[in-house]
Amino acid sequence: MIDEHMPVFIGSGLRLAVPIIFAATGEMLSERAGVLNLSLDGMMLMSAFTAALASWATGSPLIGVAAGVLVATAVAGAQAVLSVTLRANQLVVGIGFNILALGSTTFLYREIFGPLSRDPIPGFAQLNLPWLVHIPVIGPALANQTGLAYVSILMVVVTWLILKYTSFGLAVRAVGEDPRAADKAGISVARTRYLGVLYAGILAGLGGAFMSVADSNTFTENMTKGAGYLAITAVIFGGWNPWYTLAACLLFGFATALQFLVPALQLDVPVALLLLLPYLLALVAIAGFVGKSRQPSALTIPFERGG
Amino acid sequence: MALLELSGLTKRFGAFTALDDISLLIERGEVHCLLGENGAGKSTLCNLVFGVHRPDAGTMTLGGEPFDPRGPAEALQRGVVMVHQHFSLVPNMTVAENLMLGRASAVLKPQDIIVRMEQLAAEYGLEIDPEARIDELSVGERQRVEIIKCLLGDPQLLVLDEPTAVLQPDEIDALLAICRQVALRGKSVILVTHKLGEISRVADRTTVLRQGRIIETVAMEGADIRSLVRSMVGRDVQSAGSVLAAAVDIEGKTPAKSSSVGPTSPGEAVLQISDLVYRDPHGVPRLDGLSLTVGTGEIVGIAGVEGNGQSELGLILAGLAAPSAGAIVVGGTQVTGCTPQEITDAGVGIVPEDRHAVACIKELSVAENLYLGAIGKFSRFGLLDKSARRKAAETMMRDFDVRASSPDVSMASLSGGNQQKAVLARELSLDPLVFLLAAQPTRGLDVGAIEAVYNRIRAARDDGLGVLLISSELEELMAVSDRIAVIYRGKLVGELAAGSFSREAIGAMMSGHAHV
Amino acid sequence: MVMKNPKLAQGTRRKLVPLQVLVPVVSTVIALGIGLLIIAATGASVVEAIEAFWDGMAGSDFNIGASINRAISLALVGLGFIFASRANLTNVGGEGQIAMGGMFATAAALHGAGGLPLGLAFIVPLAVGTVAGAVWGGLAGFLKAARGTNEVISTLLLSFIALPLVYWSVESFHLLRKPISDVSSLPESAEIPDSTKLPLLFPDNGSPLHIGLLIAAIAVVVVWLVLKHSTLGLRLRAVGLNATASRRAGMRTSFYVILAMTVSGGLGGLGGAIMILGQQFYLTSDFSSGYGFDGLVVGLLSRGSAVGVVIGALLFGFLRSGSINMEISAHVPSAVVLICQGLIVIVIAASALLTNRTVTR
Repeated sequence: MIDEHMPVFIGSGLRLAVPIIFAATGEMLSERAGVLNLSLDGMMLMSAFTAALASWATGSPLIGVAAGVLVATAVAGAQAVLSVTLRANQLVVGIGFNILALGSTTFLYREIFGPLSRDPIPGFAQLNLPWLVHIPVIGPALANQTGLAYVSILMVVVTWLILKYTSFGLAVRAVGEDPRAADKAGISVARTRYLGVLYAGILAGLGGAFMSVADSNTFTENMTKGAGYLAITAVIFGGWNPWYTLAACLLFGFATALQFLVPALQLDVPVALLLLLPYLLALVAIAGFVGKSRQPSALTIPFERGG
Repeated sequence: MALLELSGLTKRFGAFTALDDISLLIERGEVHCLLGENGAGKSTLCNLVFGVHRPDAGTMTLGGEPFDPRGPAEALQRGVVMVHQHFSLVPNMTVAENLMLGRASAVLKPQDIIVRMEQLAAEYGLEIDPEARIDELSVGERQRVEIIKCLLGDPQLLVLDEPTAVLQPDEIDALLAICRQVALRGKSVILVTHKLGEISRVADRTTVLRQGRIIETVAMEGADIRSLVRSMVGRDVQSAGSVLAAAVDIEGKTPAKSSSVGPTSPGEAVLQISDLVYRDPHGVPRLDGLSLTVGTGEIVGIAGVEGNGQSELGLILAGLAAPSAGAIVVGGTQVTGCTPQEITDAGVGIVPEDRHAVACIKELSVAENLYLGAIGKFSRFGLLDKSARRKAAETMMRDFDVRASSPDVSMASLSGGNQQKAVLARELSLDPLVFLLAAQPTRGLDVGAIEAVYNRIRAARDDGLGVLLISSELEELMAVSDRIAVIYRGKLVGELAAGSFSREAIGAMMSGHAHV
Repeated sequence: MVMKNPKLAQGTRRKLVPLQVLVPVVSTVIALGIGLLIIAATGASVVEAIEAFWDGMAGSDFNIGASINRAISLALVGLGFIFASRANLTNVGGEGQIAMGGMFATAAALHGAGGLPLGLAFIVPLAVGTVAGAVWGGLAGFLKAARGTNEVISTLLLSFIALPLVYWSVESFHLLRKPISDVSSLPESAEIPDSTKLPLLFPDNGSPLHIGLLIAAIAVVVVWLVLKHSTLGLRLRAVGLNATASRRAGMRTSFYVILAMTVSGGLGGLGGAIMILGQQFYLTSDFSSGYGFDGLVVGLLSRGSAVGVVIGALLFGFLRSGSINMEISAHVPSAVVLICQGLIVIVIAASALLTNRTVTR
């Protein structure tokens, strides 16, 4: 019985993890630079909607993804202006953008698609990579993914390389830890943080677009269902490290997928408890009861040059 | 041609003029010292040259070209580097990572940095492990990293803002030697300090700043140190009395004691500290078996180079840090490791070193700050009786000469001197009160306020209080204390009674040379 | 350094006060204007939309009552927000505190409170809900005091933990889910007994307005007194502004951090309990949907003033009622109101630099 459910479970776990991997990886870099984007969920939602709309209008899911990323990046740009230049409270601004994103996507969706639209929109096909299929147990699940799913893993590698081996990455780490020192070393704190937030926007855009044009081939109201918050949670639980964050995203993806597996296996485990598990783990992690995950010292603190 | 030329620089912060019409030339190959007391504008001047702040008026040229840095990045590009009073190293990164920070290259090349570090090690004797994390290094090592960081790019001008305040004597020697070597290679050095000894050892020329203005610039060959001090202090002999008497006496003779000197025989002990040990969160010992007794009616001064445990002693006495070992007894009551409230109840008043962080809440009103420790004193059923509090505050402000238009204005709107008077008013009005700790009580204050603070401290002593005065200003200690103990690396290494204060003896003990 | 002239400083301060009122008012007006533009852009009749909106807000005694009932819970969450922010703590976990309050109030109402005399039938569930919210908020306060955990992150996470708990309680038959009947088996609780429902203020004219209004009014006065005029309010403020100086002055800073978050959460829990006992009468998994964030916005808009909370809560309560009717009658999606709310929050946050400018330096 487990055998027949396993490939489905692994497949859905991975698919649920992909948008979180995108968003969390970008957010991790932004937080390393000291900016927390609570608006991540809004960026994803905006992107999911825009991608669906553009894909539906042009027939090309690729254009859909591009449009989604563009819109999410624009939201990120606005978040950056407010939280870096205007030194507004990053968290409050983030909540504002999430409300705005929910309102505007719901509104536009109803205006454009009408309340009962369930027509699939053009989406990506699964690649079905032949050389992966033959791996036992996980092979089919790994192979039957859209291209974007593989891009998400690639982005984790890229982000890791940026942080470890480039001077931009070094600047990001310095700015998030000790902006004053970075400033005196001649680094532009504002520029570094802008780039960090925009990077988070691009990746959140990819994550949001994945949801609508690669995973479900449709848009539904509030379709992110808090995935952005889950991504932020994954960053916390992953201790601001790219690989641990990836692991946290996979864990959360599979925890969410369990809610489909558990009833199928007729196990008596409340689904609700699976839903809250990621958040509980993250809470335990930031309370410092597990390991020593320490947030960047300057996280959420605006920088103002002083003597 | 001079390397750096400043003309007419002015910088204001709000209504406060930090620098007023500064014009100055820095020659190539010279070590130029900036001398001045706290608040004279030395740091502000450095920050203008390094682009941290921008002047409100005036211009600069560097190497003959106009120089108006909009930020440190631009200053660095023009070959101006700076070592700050507070280190600007990212604590959780390695030495090599810190050195690579802000250097132009898309991909990090740690190997290049290591090669360059080896060159500098050979040239200046600056050696350090590139893989060590900053937060594992000692203060002296961190400063070495700062200097390496500055020299990496082969700068024209090296600015050092009070670099020796936190160093041990041997580290200071090494640093001054490096300054000379840098100048020998045709670069210029601006060294900010208020220590006369350093100036006579390293400076080619010295500029004295006072209250944001240049008093004089002198070549050091054959210069009279006494006159430099007079320019630096510049206090009116009449109004500043003993302050100047002590300050001008740099030859080491005992200053003439003014009539305000208190009782010669102190009474019974009010504060007894025995074998106090304190380790900071990193496990570094900051206090190492310190023992001290303060009697009723005496002022005991603690002298020492900053960073030798004075701050920690102040925090422990205030109840803001718990000692690792040892005992503190105030007037017969054990207060070791007690809460601030319990310490206050034992009769201890505290004027802490950091006024803004510990002594007052600048956003609250003067009245609220005066009764910060007794919020419940003016209340009925938990509701504040603000008019009663205002009346009481007005009385206290009058008694202690705290000048503000009303008790309801925010503490932030008061001058530093009036803030400190308010803090003194609160602490000296405690009941019971048997002991007062005054840590760096005149830091950043103007002359008038300094005298007022001294008078309050002396009056408290005359009322029978035991007073512990922690200060980095030797002149202050010699002018006010009845007895001076010297702290070095977390313990007291010697003590001088009133009448035998000697600048040389104290200075020797402060630098770790045993008392003879 | 600091300003030397106290008169000047005072003058600057006086000028700031109207700005703090002006900014929320102007941003609300601008946001509503944008909302109207959006409605116009959809081609719907603006006049018709406004009429439907007005009708939904205040077209009848029933609608007015329903709008005010909405405002009551928002006001309580908003009061909780400003209470915590007095100690410089940001409680963004109103949603979770409402959820816990509502869930435990339902449990109390269904299991035991129904038979109590003298109004205890509804007072006990209200108290139980308040305590549940207080525990949820206090937990964040404890983590802050004991472990230094950022309260924004912890209250947010606690919300995301609370919501599935409510879901669990209405999913599970041995918790609060009502027994399967032949009519329906939706995942929701049974209806609470009549005795536990909040008494109506005007039972005769059909208005659903209940005594929650009086409870909220008392809460407004108490919070106002505590924050502006009590020793506790001053201590909270001192601890929030400068914990070290407060500790030196003898205050137990951890205690005040935990207390502020506990009271803040308790007000949210009370708001949640009132939603169930006064209006919804049975628990569903998403009964708190959006109220937490709306309450947070109300708290933000008020800039720390209890009177501001009342105004903001009424505004949002009426907006919500109006938008629902606008969608039904004029076919304009109620999401327009969400857009307006989002804009208001963003503009106010952006103007913080303008309104919080201090005199120092």
